[in-house]
Amino acid sequence: MPRTSTLECPGCPPIRALTFDVLGLVKVTEARSKEGGIPKVVDRWGEPDSSKCILAASIDDRKSGPLLAIAREGGLIEILNPLNGHPCLSISNIIDNGPEPGDDAIVGLHLFKKQNLDLSSRSHTLLTCTTKGNASMRSVELTSSHADSTSSVSSRTWNVCASGNILCSQVDGNENYALFGGKGVEVNVWDLEQGTKIWTAKSPPKNSLGLFTPTWFTSATFLSKDDHRKFVAGTNSHQVRLYDISAQRRPVISFDFRETPIKAVAEDQDGYTIYIGNGSGDLASVDMRTGKLLGCFLGKCSGSIRSIARHPELPVIASCGLDSYLRFWDIKTRKVLSAVFLKQPLTNVVFDSNFAEEEVPSSVVDPPTEAQNTNETQESDEEEVQPLKRKKKSSKHSGSKKPKPKKRSKKAQDETVDDSS
Amino acid sequence: MGAKRKKREEVGGDDEVAGGKKQILPSMIKNKDKRSAVHAKLKHQKKIEKRKKAKAREAAEKRALELGEEPPVKAIPRTIENTREFDETVCKPDDEELFAGNDADEFSSILNRKSDPKILITTCRFNSTRGPAFISELLSVIPNAHYYKRGTYDLKKIVEYAKIKDFTSLIVVHTNRREPDALLIIGLPDGPTAHFKLSKLVLHKDVKNHGNPTSHIPELVLNNFTTRLGHRIGRMIQSLFPQAPNFRGRRVVTFHNQRDFIFFRHHRYIFESKESKQGDTKGNKDKDAKGEKSSQGKVVARLQECGPRFTLKLINLQHGTFDTKGGEYEWVHKPEMDTSRRRFFL
Repeated sequence: MPRTSTLECPGCPPIRALTFDVLGLVKVTEARSKEGGIPKVVDRWGEPDSSKCILAASIDDRKSGPLLAIAREGGLIEILNPLNGHPCLSISNIIDNGPEPGDDAIVGLHLFKKQNLDLSSRSHTLLTCTTKGNASMRSVELTSSHADSTSSVSSRTWNVCASGNILCSQVDGNENYALFGGKGVEVNVWDLEQGTKIWTAKSPPKNSLGLFTPTWFTSATFLSKDDHRKFVAGTNSHQVRLYDISAQRRPVISFDFRETPIKAVAEDQDGYTIYIGNGSGDLASVDMRTGKLLGCFLGKCSGSIRSIARHPELPVIASCGLDSYLRFWDIKTRKVLSAVFLKQPLTNVVFDSNFAEEEVPSSVVDPPTEAQNTNETQESDEEEVQPLKRKKKSSKHSGSKKPKPKKRSKKAQDETVDDSS
Repeated sequence: MGAKRKKREEVGGDDEVAGGKKQILPSMIKNKDKRSAVHAKLKHQKKIEKRKKAKAREAAEKRALELGEEPPVKAIPRTIENTREFDETVCKPDDEELFAGNDADEFSSILNRKSDPKILITTCRFNSTRGPAFISELLSVIPNAHYYKRGTYDLKKIVEYAKIKDFTSLIVVHTNRREPDALLIIGLPDGPTAHFKLSKLVLHKDVKNHGNPTSHIPELVLNNFTTRLGHRIGRMIQSLFPQAPNFRGRRVVTFHNQRDFIFFRHHRYIFESKESKQGDTKGNKDKDAKGEKSSQGKVVARLQECGPRFTLKLINLQHGTFDTKGGEYEWVHKPEMDTSRRRFFL
């Protein structure tokens, strides 16, 4: 018998991830059953169009009314509902007298989680940053009627760097501080309330040969949700550096990882482990207290890793990259849980954490959901009242909506049906 | 004493249970003479059986043909290509994302005939012996190719100069130990960079009965680039040649992919009609010469090889132009990817 060895991939716990690729498509991948589920592409939103390549994405996955913001090429920002992909809002980032959108592409995007709880309209804040360094914070209002929402109520723009290109930007866990770094731009930390730069890094001194590596940060992340003072940045010369604002301006710990630029960094929830992915597809986890490499994730990843996402609850990380695969990894064993081929080079991945699997008999579900579908759009505000978990729904969809809307929990359903009737 | 008895038992056991469940494998016998004797006997037996089966098959076929019935179906031999591991990245014919991706990729302007390819060929810094001969042959194979000496320019600078001069591709022939052994194809302006390992180079003058290439634009044959990665490499190779092949020139360049090795061949062909009864008549030069008047004739194409012959193997594919330090790779071969002998990537 021919010598073949196929790696048996253990399945994934129930997870839902959204990926974004260079053709502007958003694909939803879900793994269903409790153990041993194979993730499959469930949905695809958008039409393939390379001029709408997705450059950055940010998800605000609250339990009620989650939102997904994506930034496309050409300065377009869209806010979608991550459940069904319907666009809630789309704004253009083009400044009138500013540079051409082609030159000034959006590099970082963050959708703020705290917002004014206002039933009739909700305002959300978005922080965007472009390669030329124009960071802007704008609030947009989302009214209940999806079609036309008033765009930017207030926006504040400032320039983050005088020269050079910004390549990475992140907002910390408490959403008060943001960091920016890039090619020729040292990492800066800004206070968002006051709009001031509170700290800049200083590059390490010349090495023994008198050579000075130019500053080129390709990815950065804050180390923990509560502490805005420590963050990790990866450079183009395959170096990973830990900075501490309260300690010094030079990096506290810095080490080399393989030979290609560090393209993605993601932090773990314990506050000291990070996951780094580089340009030739190597994914590894590092303990930042000591700077020691904990281990590499081996799994036939042959393309540059563009984005890593850590699931907020389960010990799973997802990585996606230029080889068009989305891979789920188990953190403890560092093995591949599964890999999904998604046909286009991927740029970003986010997890949708409010996804739980539940077997509910479909007969009970069907009648209320028919009524509920039509009311769903208006009911989005009432749903804020009770937290909902999205469950698997096996009913057919009604109406003209293309993707299947997710079923709410039974208790909430009854209440909403009561409200509508 | 004990050893001899054991051997005899084993040999005896072999004869006894010849058709039984347990068979003594030659590898279990420790004595080399005995082991080789048993192995030779087994091989001889297998050979006799195989010959018997083949004869039976031939006899059955001849009998069927004589009786006018259908000959029994020939069994398909198992090959590595037949048993290739299932690859989910194989391009499907109805994949709209594939077409959208194709429209969006870097070669689409050339492949849609909006612009013409213009190739710049250069070498690594030290070039000797077979290198220049190979380059001159490449210049004759690829139309609209120009050769510039390397000098001591940085490759990144060369890329910039080529962009200014409107070249669409840059080919770098790398020599090692006086033999060309690697080929870097860089798409411009910011196309992908493919790094190939070059081997088995046979120059034009070394090919037996070689023909002389003309300067017609050749036809291009790209075989077996099935997966997504293969498709992309296929398009990259296609973008080196002009998209208006001159069929009257009867010149064909073939890139045949088999087991991740890409074989390059360059032929001139001629159509002839081979007739069983009548005399030989030379066929026409056109492709649509199939409608020959002679009734019994089969039209065959005769090939004459001209030009170099070499094989390429993809080492890595980099997104963007050549930049080893700061580059990100779309595909890089890692040893952990070779999980089985039947897994191929192109």
